[in-house]
Amino acid sequence: MKSYKTIFFQIIIILLFILLFGFLINNLIINLIRTDLGFNFSWLLKPASFALAEHALPYSPSDSYAWALFIGLLNSLKVIFISLFLSTILGTIIGLSRTGNNILLKIISSSYITIIRQTPLLLQLMFWYFVGFLGIKNNFIYFSNLIKINNQGIEFFGLSLTSEFSALIIGLSVFTSAFIGEVIRGGIISVPKGQWESYRSLGLTEKNGLIKVIIPQALPAIVPGLTNQYLNLAKNSTLAIAIGYSDIYAINDTIINQTGRAIECFIILLLTFLILNLFITNFMETINKLVHKKKIYIN
Amino acid sequence: MQLKKTKKYLQKLRGILFLNSLNNFLTILLISTILILSLRSFNWFIFNAKWSVITTNIPLFAFGTFPSDQRWRPIIWIVSLLIISLLSIIPPKWKWFQKNLIIAWIGMIPLGIFLLYGGLGLQTVMSRNFGGLTLTILLTICSSIFALPIGIGLAFGRQSSLFVVKKLSSMYIDSMRAVPLIAVLFFGQLLIPLFLPLGIEIDRVWRAIFAFTLFVSAYIAEDIRGGLQAIPNTQLESAKSLGLNQFQIIRFILIPQSLRIALPALTNQVIGLFQNTSLMSILGLVELLGVGRSILANPKFIGQYIEVYIWLASVYWLICTIMALIAKYLEKRLKIA
Repeated sequence: MKSYKTIFFQIIIILLFILLFGFLINNLIINLIRTDLGFNFSWLLKPASFALAEHALPYSPSDSYAWALFIGLLNSLKVIFISLFLSTILGTIIGLSRTGNNILLKIISSSYITIIRQTPLLLQLMFWYFVGFLGIKNNFIYFSNLIKINNQGIEFFGLSLTSEFSALIIGLSVFTSAFIGEVIRGGIISVPKGQWESYRSLGLTEKNGLIKVIIPQALPAIVPGLTNQYLNLAKNSTLAIAIGYSDIYAINDTIINQTGRAIECFIILLLTFLILNLFITNFMETINKLVHKKKIYIN
Repeated sequence: MQLKKTKKYLQKLRGILFLNSLNNFLTILLISTILILSLRSFNWFIFNAKWSVITTNIPLFAFGTFPSDQRWRPIIWIVSLLIISLLSIIPPKWKWFQKNLIIAWIGMIPLGIFLLYGGLGLQTVMSRNFGGLTLTILLTICSSIFALPIGIGLAFGRQSSLFVVKKLSSMYIDSMRAVPLIAVLFFGQLLIPLFLPLGIEIDRVWRAIFAFTLFVSAYIAEDIRGGLQAIPNTQLESAKSLGLNQFQIIRFILIPQSLRIALPALTNQVIGLFQNTSLMSILGLVELLGVGRSILANPKFIGQYIEVYIWLASVYWLICTIMALIAKYLEKRLKIA
């Protein structure tokens, strides 16, 4: 009797859901017909006819929309992976200095964390772009052709980065590093104090003790937090549009302005991020497994 | 005596700051950079910065383009919000007040709508005149109050034994958490009108609130699910043995306890939401950051980025820090209780 009731209840929920969905889709179809747009993806093959300042692969305005979107995806991935790398390094330094002995470092790193975490990322990105790059003089740092930092961007060892790209990388890395710093501090704190005392009493050097005893035990607590921060970083990279960097979101936005294909572009954006999320989660899951294996080995 | 104490203190400081060569190097490097930086920025702060860009635009930062003779209305609303949050942090001992606290919080939304939009005897104000901190607070308060019950519902849905409910809620939560906020807000601004029947239009501000609610409720659901999982099983068993029914268990056992456990995470969500309302400045609402952007676009104040950004950052920082401190205080008090 009871299972009959629950099945009935679930069927009602499905019906309600379908009803709501149908209502919305119906409205959408009516509106699309009214605006004479329809729903198809054939426009993807038409020429994009907008220029992109930043492209990793050859691109010209006569290339198709699909190619422009792919270039945008590559731009996004470039930003995400470089900032992922930089923010991990910076975050580790901050997390370690928060748990270390030097009081000065502790004060500096904790004020860094409060300042960065309590202000919006968008504001920080604008700050890095408009003040950090556009605000500086022509030859801000000039180091015998090897390292140049000016309002055109960063140039070092023959590799030139635009100011939009550099500002985005710096902003994202700085913002994420404050969160990663907290994750790493949490991981180190989670290792019982006895572990530190025991490796010292065993006569291991500080370096060996950290590498062989503390870090392997802290990692299982760190990796899930890191995964979350990496996912946030990937999602936050879409704020690139505010400073004019052409990432996947910015290009979708441009295409919508040109063609009015909001629904299709939105679907493309959603799918891109679902896949990206899956990719990062799976990647971190393998790392997580590795870390746990190592822990068992040491125990 | 005093000298000895000072000497001991200095020795202790030396033990911390100048322990070994690495620490020596770090300390000297840090102290010198801090000195140079603070000297230069102090110099800039006092002599070079033109703070008139802030002082002349204070009303704009606070209220946007709200009609100047009607500014008392957002002021009243914000002050009553402050009072009610103060009363919920340090609750007076009146029983009736504690019982009706939730109702008072929910009542803040109609009060805000009435005061900001006008009508019923007040002069009506269009929502395009909302702006500045008022709009930021409106977005934050409304979205968080709407998102909390939805989040609770989704969290229970995900834990439900009913297959359909479970699948639907986890699908919603997971896909919402995978998508960047700006895409959701974009959906709210540009796509919601496409999904509505002809002739029905929703205000831009409410579309933004709707989008924020959709987004934040998924995150709140995960926080509350964490709280639910942390409730010991014995609580459920004892509730069942007392003869409480399903509804009573949820109402009196699960919701209060999971909310208490999830409180720090929930306040973090509100802080995050407060910061994230700044994204609306890209999508055409003139909230706090949007006001900053429009002022910087004004030829009269061109190039004064640093002043405006420092001012905005300190406003955001101050409000977020106060919220974080309140959260810490509440956490402590609830642990004792």
